Amino acid sequence: MSVETSDEDLTLHESEDATRKEEVRLREGEREKEAIFAAMREAIENYDSDAAAGAAKQAVDSGIDLLEAVEKGFAGPIRQLGEAFDRMEIFLPQLMLGSDAMKAGMDVLEEAINAGGGRIQSKGTVVIGTVEGDIHDIGKTVVAALLQANGYAVHDLGVEVPASRFIEAAESRKADIIAMSALLSTTMLYQRDVIELLGNKALRDRYYTLVGGAPVTQAWADEIGAGGYARGAYEAVQLLDGKKESWSK
Amino acid sequence: MNFKEIAKRGETGPLTEAKDFLMKRVSANVLELEKKYQVTWDGKTLINLDDEMSDRCWQAGRELLLSSGIFSMNSKRIIELSAEEIDEALRFAPAELPMGQGKDAVRAYHRQVEDARGPFIFSGPFNADTSEEHFVRLNEAFAQERLIDSLLFPGYLKMLDGQMIRPTSALASRAAMLYGQWSREAVRRAGRPGMPITAHAVMALNEIACTNEQWGLRSTDPRAMVLISELQVDDVTMTRLAYYLAYGCPIYMAFTPLVGGYGGGPAGTAIVAVASFIAAVLLGGEVVHVGPQHIKFKQQTNHHSLFLASLVNQAVARNSSIIATTSHTTSGRPGSEQYAREFSALALTAVTSGSNVTGPRPAEPLGFNNVSPLMARLFAEVAHAAAGMKREQAAEIVSRLYQTYKDKLDLEQAPKGQAFEELYDLQTLRPTSEHQALYDRLKEELIGMGVPL
Repeated sequence: MSVETSDEDLTLHESEDATRKEEVRLREGEREKEAIFAAMREAIENYDSDAAAGAAKQAVDSGIDLLEAVEKGFAGPIRQLGEAFDRMEIFLPQLMLGSDAMKAGMDVLEEAINAGGGRIQSKGTVVIGTVEGDIHDIGKTVVAALLQANGYAVHDLGVEVPASRFIEAAESRKADIIAMSALLSTTMLYQRDVIELLGNKALRDRYYTLVGGAPVTQAWADEIGAGGYARGAYEAVQLLDGKKESWSK
Repeated sequence: MNFKEIAKRGETGPLTEAKDFLMKRVSANVLELEKKYQVTWDGKTLINLDDEMSDRCWQAGRELLLSSGIFSMNSKRIIELSAEEIDEALRFAPAELPMGQGKDAVRAYHRQVEDARGPFIFSGPFNADTSEEHFVRLNEAFAQERLIDSLLFPGYLKMLDGQMIRPTSALASRAAMLYGQWSREAVRRAGRPGMPITAHAVMALNEIACTNEQWGLRSTDPRAMVLISELQVDDVTMTRLAYYLAYGCPIYMAFTPLVGGYGGGPAGTAIVAVASFIAAVLLGGEVVHVGPQHIKFKQQTNHHSLFLASLVNQAVARNSSIIATTSHTTSGRPGSEQYAREFSALALTAVTSGSNVTGPRPAEPLGFNNVSPLMARLFAEVAHAAAGMKREQAAEIVSRLYQTYKDKLDLEQAPKGQAFEELYDLQTLRPTSEHQALYDRLKEELIGMGVPL
């Protein structure tokens, strides 16, 4: 028995074949994309900076949409990390390692996106430090890690940071926010100095100033004219998220 | 190993960054040691009853110090220690420490778990912001409380003549001198001229200006130093230490391990705390104060910190002769019922676990003079009542007390309390009738719960 095939049938078959191939290609593309996103997620969950950078490079090399990679690769686990820290299921070392892993991956993605003329929209840029005369580090480090985990570009200036250095760093990093920690009643004074110096340099309106630390209160923040006061790290994130209109340029 | 050798190693030890010391040495070692020595928390125990675990916690802490060392923050060098040096320092740690003068001289001492001897009471304003106007009267009111053995941290003079004080300024030197002068005046007025004053003016090196045998703080007054979390020390502390050791003062060395910080949860932080106890002794500490901080609650009467205080103090009491004392900071503030319930829970925990006591103080005082000498009396009474009590009995009472405040730990929501000048009649230096009634009511409540007051 012979089967006769018309020209029209042949065209139809070719077209169906092409569609199937395209579907297969798309499916394979989706699978590859999903595999990259999974590797990115896993890198954060394992607090692995090298793996995060490697997965990000894979994303760049594969030509997938890098903004989608940020959202579907890094954003979910880093959010979960912050929530787990809040519930005290993980602690400061894990938060810092996870936050560092995300930064390692984001640096790779950002470079590629910038090279292509695009831009990763970080929530905002923060310079943070403990004020002059104060060597206490941990509270400031927690705030820095949690802000970074929540999508802010964070530049941690360390401890005993003089007023002028806060301002120089804010200028050079094109920061939106200057965050100052003080753990001693006496070193709180230096938070006032930073704000006063900003005023002297006519830069007061350029930056949103955020103050915190054990002896710091809303009343103190009001007295020295700080933009905001946060009691702790979560509050700092909430405050900045909620006050975007105050610091966004 | 003497102080000179420690200071030298702070200049010559391995160079590293603080973050690497904390993450690669402290955190990484704690994770391993928690598993190796099976130091755990079951998520509900408030007072540890497992002696074997407290001994394992001691071993883990000793090993942590051996493997991590102490970080000198300014030189960025690690003071590394050998096992022999650690053991030698522990062998020579004093089990008793005299302080104060004349008939007011007293001795702090090492206590055992469930020790029948009463604890040594360090109490006073505990560095709450103190106004110039009320400094002497407020401290006099503390000093007249006979159960207080040493007046503790007579207040934080952050303003003088209406001017806020910058730590390294000439005004800070003046504040340090007035701190010494007014503290001495306060104990003299209370009829206890030789009462030891445990001092920490917290004004950088200017603090040394409070020292004067006639009008200020004497060689018989303990001087407080604070290590930085975790296992770190800075030049200011080392410099003050060099001076006060040479001057002959008893050394009161404090540290504040952070639950949720580089040590992880309560079990890991307990290991860090044991290491810090030993580090404090190596640096010259003769009374060692543990003040567990908490990354979330920022006070010391939450369930994590209660467990940590019990485990660490038991580890120290059972395995060393260190004179330990536990700091008490609360969410509730003086003038509220919650304040007393919180400090009572921690005092019962600490004292039955072999510690002396330091405090109480609200973790976040509101404004100036947010302290109460009458509540210090109740604190001392509860601490003495806990002497000789079994841990099981204490745990039952602590559990009931904890239930009363566990949902009110948030510092913003916790009772605001009142200032000293609202709680006391400043003419007679006696509590107001309302404050006295609060004391009476709380005492009855604690007796009803089984505290033998």
